[in-house]
Amino acid sequence: MKQEHGGVVTQKYGMVVDLDLCTGCGSCMVACMAENNVPFREDETDKLKSITWMRVYKLTNGKHYPETDICYLPRPCQHCEGSHGHSPCVSVCPATATDYDNQTGIVSQIYTRCFGCRYCMGACPYHARYFNWYDPIWPEGMERYLNPNVSPRMRGVVEKCSFCFHRYQAAKDKAHLDGQKEIDEDAYQTACTQACPAGAITFGDLDNPNHAVHELKKQPDAFRLLERLGTNTKVYYVSSREWVRRAGDNYLKSEGLKKAVL
Amino acid sequence: MKIDRRSFLSLGVGVAAGTALSPLPWKLTDDLSIWTQNWPWTPVPEIGESSFVNSVCTLCPGGCGISVRKVEDRGIKIEGMKGHPVNQGGICALGLSGLQLLYGPTRIKTPLKRVGKRGDGQWAKISWDEAISEITEKLDGLRISGNSHTVAGIAGSRHGTVSQLFSRFLMAFGSPNFFHTPSIADTYQLALQYMNGVSAAPGFDLENADFILSFGCGLLEGWGAPVRMFKANTGWKKNRARVIQIESRLSCTAAKSDRWIAIIPGTEAALALGVAHVLIKEMLYNKDFVDNYAQGFESFVTDNGEIKKGFKQTVLEEYSPETVARVTGIDPSAIILLAREFANAKAPLALCGKGQGKVPGSLSEAMSVHALNALVGSVNRKGGVFPMPAMEVQGWAEVGMDTIASAGMNQPRIDGAPPNSPGCINQLPSAILSGKGYPLNVLFVLESNPLYTMADSKTVKDAFDKIPFVVSLSSFMDETAQYADIVMPNHIYLERLEDAPTPMGYNKSIISLSKPVFKPRLNTKHAGDTLILLAKGLGGGVAEAFPWKNFEACFEQAMGDKMKTLKKNGFWVDSDAVLPDWESTFKTASGKFQFAPAEFSPGVAPVKIEGDSTFQLLLIPYETMRLSCGYIANPPFLTKTVEDTILKQNDCFIEINPKTAQSNQLTEGDVVVLQTPRGQARVRVHLEEGIMPGMVALPRGLGHTAHGGGYIANKGINANRLIGPVQDPVSGMDAAWGIRAKLSKA
Amino acid sequence: MSEIDDKTQAVSKKAVSSTHGQRREDGGSGGVIILFFIVGLVASLVVGWVLFPKLLYSQKKQPIDFNHTLHNTLVGNGCESCHSFREDGSYSGVPKLAQCIECHEEVQSSNPEEIRFVEQYVKKGIEVPWLVYARQPDCVFFSHAAHVKSAKMDCATCHGPIGESESMKPYQQNRITGYSRDIWGENIGGFKKNTWDRMKMDDCSECHQKKKVVIGSVQTQKEGCFVCHK
Repeated sequence: MKQEHGGVVTQKYGMVVDLDLCTGCGSCMVACMAENNVPFREDETDKLKSITWMRVYKLTNGKHYPETDICYLPRPCQHCEGSHGHSPCVSVCPATATDYDNQTGIVSQIYTRCFGCRYCMGACPYHARYFNWYDPIWPEGMERYLNPNVSPRMRGVVEKCSFCFHRYQAAKDKAHLDGQKEIDEDAYQTACTQACPAGAITFGDLDNPNHAVHELKKQPDAFRLLERLGTNTKVYYVSSREWVRRAGDNYLKSEGLKKAVL
Repeated sequence: MKIDRRSFLSLGVGVAAGTALSPLPWKLTDDLSIWTQNWPWTPVPEIGESSFVNSVCTLCPGGCGISVRKVEDRGIKIEGMKGHPVNQGGICALGLSGLQLLYGPTRIKTPLKRVGKRGDGQWAKISWDEAISEITEKLDGLRISGNSHTVAGIAGSRHGTVSQLFSRFLMAFGSPNFFHTPSIADTYQLALQYMNGVSAAPGFDLENADFILSFGCGLLEGWGAPVRMFKANTGWKKNRARVIQIESRLSCTAAKSDRWIAIIPGTEAALALGVAHVLIKEMLYNKDFVDNYAQGFESFVTDNGEIKKGFKQTVLEEYSPETVARVTGIDPSAIILLAREFANAKAPLALCGKGQGKVPGSLSEAMSVHALNALVGSVNRKGGVFPMPAMEVQGWAEVGMDTIASAGMNQPRIDGAPPNSPGCINQLPSAILSGKGYPLNVLFVLESNPLYTMADSKTVKDAFDKIPFVVSLSSFMDETAQYADIVMPNHIYLERLEDAPTPMGYNKSIISLSKPVFKPRLNTKHAGDTLILLAKGLGGGVAEAFPWKNFEACFEQAMGDKMKTLKKNGFWVDSDAVLPDWESTFKTASGKFQFAPAEFSPGVAPVKIEGDSTFQLLLIPYETMRLSCGYIANPPFLTKTVEDTILKQNDCFIEINPKTAQSNQLTEGDVVVLQTPRGQARVRVHLEEGIMPGMVALPRGLGHTAHGGGYIANKGINANRLIGPVQDPVSGMDAAWGIRAKLSKA
Repeated sequence: MSEIDDKTQAVSKKAVSSTHGQRREDGGSGGVIILFFIVGLVASLVVGWVLFPKLLYSQKKQPIDFNHTLHNTLVGNGCESCHSFREDGSYSGVPKLAQCIECHEEVQSSNPEEIRFVEQYVKKGIEVPWLVYARQPDCVFFSHAAHVKSAKMDCATCHGPIGESESMKPYQQNRITGYSRDIWGENIGGFKKNTWDRMKMDDCSECHQKKKVVIGSVQTQKEGCFVCHK
């Protein structure tokens, strides 16, 4: 449902990820790293310290061989809305480094304000935020490939998926030049959406009936992660397998699935 | 007037007041706080004009079209090229990391000559002229002494202009010893040759198939053209086509399939024939095809009164579901159900080639699977498998071999394979080490890393020790380049003008244009130009076969009239291709499909891997999209995606079923020694329900000992160190799908 | 007892004499104190307002002394003739050599600056290392398209009347931060007479508050941070 905010039409950018199509290939992870100047270190096996704005998790149904089943789940920042823009991370930031924007629904992270207290990391239920414990090093001229549209970070700041809002900025630039008020669906797509070879990720304005995600999120098999926390996230997942939908929240064995709140 | 302490105090107060009222402290504080944040070691990428250049990614044989975003002259992002037939805008994680290879620390910057012992990494920088003249001098000497055949070359692929230029060089020089990195495509080529009568690569019309029976193919692990496979998989899901995955491990492909059937590895041929048995017995096969367009199905009596068993009789006699169940470990009812579903589908298609198809594999397995397709008529028809027309270069003049060249070409191949055959590179190390036949004096290696990718690494290294002169044209300091005597670095793919040939399994003939997206910024040279310079340096007949000024001219001639389309679209697709039919496209002696060619007798025993009963477990290697296991090693971005249940610090994990682990008194994370008849290695244990009991699985792509820079070297174990090649009884190529192993606590 | 008396007397004498002295000193030292105070005050004010800016900012000359007025008369579209928008909406900023070469392939006049430009830069194919007055920190994303095309703002509003200058003003670089004086402000105290005197975030905010550009931020009740930051 489109909203008006002070007379201006707002957007609510979000994603629908089809877990039946996701193959776990990792293209989304690397597309995000390449697009957003994400640093890399020699040893990335400590996953608590490895910075991957988009991370593909491997879920399992917990059954023994040969009934074992696995499912891959890509998890970007969920851009929680909470109630009226009170995302868990936004609510706790003492430096106003992270902010919820009602115009687009994007939770932004501004590195120059962040002083690295990591309160937001504690608040985030999805482990979507990463801290730069070390100064990024780009060996021997590799900094040549850095994207000038995204600021490279220094140590001591938190970073997270931004729904590639630099692409939103670029799309708006073009729209302004062309004299258009709104940007098209395919003018602003995140790097992960664009790269996914299986077409499992769809991105767009959840409120706009002309965008694909608007209808996709309404599927009966759609669910959000940890819905009952009330984070009101923007990333919907779709799976035809019930055990996968159950894995989306901490259900007791006796509980039934909670339908997605739309 | 007395100037005392009070005066100074008041002076101080005045100064303080004045300073506070001036902008000095405030501005200074603000400026200093900005200064503390301006860390000079945090790069600030310059903004500039953005542009996109289309090319093709050749980091794997998949041949995806790419669109490289540049800002000014820097490469910023590689994206999939919209509208390219193979990948349609998609791209894999390795392709996305390409810029890290372009700008990375493992690039070789200039020609090098070894000083010190092989493998020590001591190099002297030499000029291109020095490198070329030293090599031509050596080669010339070999020609004159009548030993031109003792020069061999290993190329990444057989196809593509540069590889063909390489094989042309060897021919004009006088050596039959051209090798390429082997794969399932080699075995498929033989299967098509014997059964279709056409020696060609297979094309699978996957997009139009509605029932995929995959014998261990890593459809989502990188088999064929990886991105095309992902798109095909999405198409199958949307169209409700079914995928049945037959493999011993719950790979991504198995997890996404409609049914995962776990099989004892190495018994796939038996399963295929078991399915064939049910199709024949229950008369579910395509009678029109079998009766009218195939031969060798029925048994017949020869003029001498000899009974020649046909395919039907052999399968019915020896491959009942019960027999096959015993061999494969699959329930007979599952086999029968599978066969019925296969036959009842509108467009069933069976595929083989374990994992990414890196190993040529068992020929009898490939032929059994091909026979299965023939039984349901899925050969040479929409939704099926058919031979792809040959795409050899047309535009060059034929090589005029001089006497030395002719003499050299008449020598037998060092691996004993028939002349003009793809060769059996797996037999090269033993051929060199045995001492029988002639020794190898010079080895050229291009776009390939045999010291890492070939099975039984130790034996390969021992063989290399017996080759006095090794020349690598690698762009990266990989294991083979590290072990070479002279390195003549090639441009990296983003700097090269080249063609990417039809990827394995793709059902349309396509050539994609690789453009120099970036001007080469290191002292590297296009391998094509290197070959032309070597040929010109040798003079005589060799130089005559290389009349071009440079590779660009050679390439234009090779592409001929396709060049215009290539430059315009970035690719050329054979739009005139006619879908093969059953009447005219079988080129066997009989003009029909051969179910039982002389080279194939169903009933050939499954490939026996190495190891006796003291090795109680089966070790299989597996491939994943997150570990590049060929010539290209993982860039740092790709290594970031590797799970910590595969690699933890520098230890890699083997997958083992919890039941097997328990019976070996092993728990999650234990450090063990994995031992096989070929070697041993220290690994850690990961309990995984998704693998058959009695087996352990090790990922390919780790265990690099070169590729310095700290991001991939010395992490994990190279599976090829532990697994040895097993010769296929008919093709002679490597058919090892694993090896027997044992674990002991470290 | 007389000792104590003596001492008391001495003390009181001292006291008397010291108060005397004090009074005298008060009268005289009070003046000195005020004098020193004023000296200190004035000196530090002068240092802070006059000397400090001189020391803080280094004066750099542009590599070529470009004459905007002259070129403005020669082109057809004002500022946008050379400072143009690209097709994708981004702004080209300071023109590249290719733009200049369109006219300056050969020397066009007898101006020594132009001669030097053609010899040292055009002929050698080297980009002129212009010092950009308006260079913002890396965290800033500024959309020229939004301001010039949609808000129809005049270039001079933010950049000042550069187009009417006949020579390039010196690039005054802050020795500590590395940014141009045009960013903090011409005036060392941050006071501005014209809209183009300062280019910090507050200056942008001023205008945005007045024009009531979209309010989206939950934290600040102003515009979303990422609209201008990256």
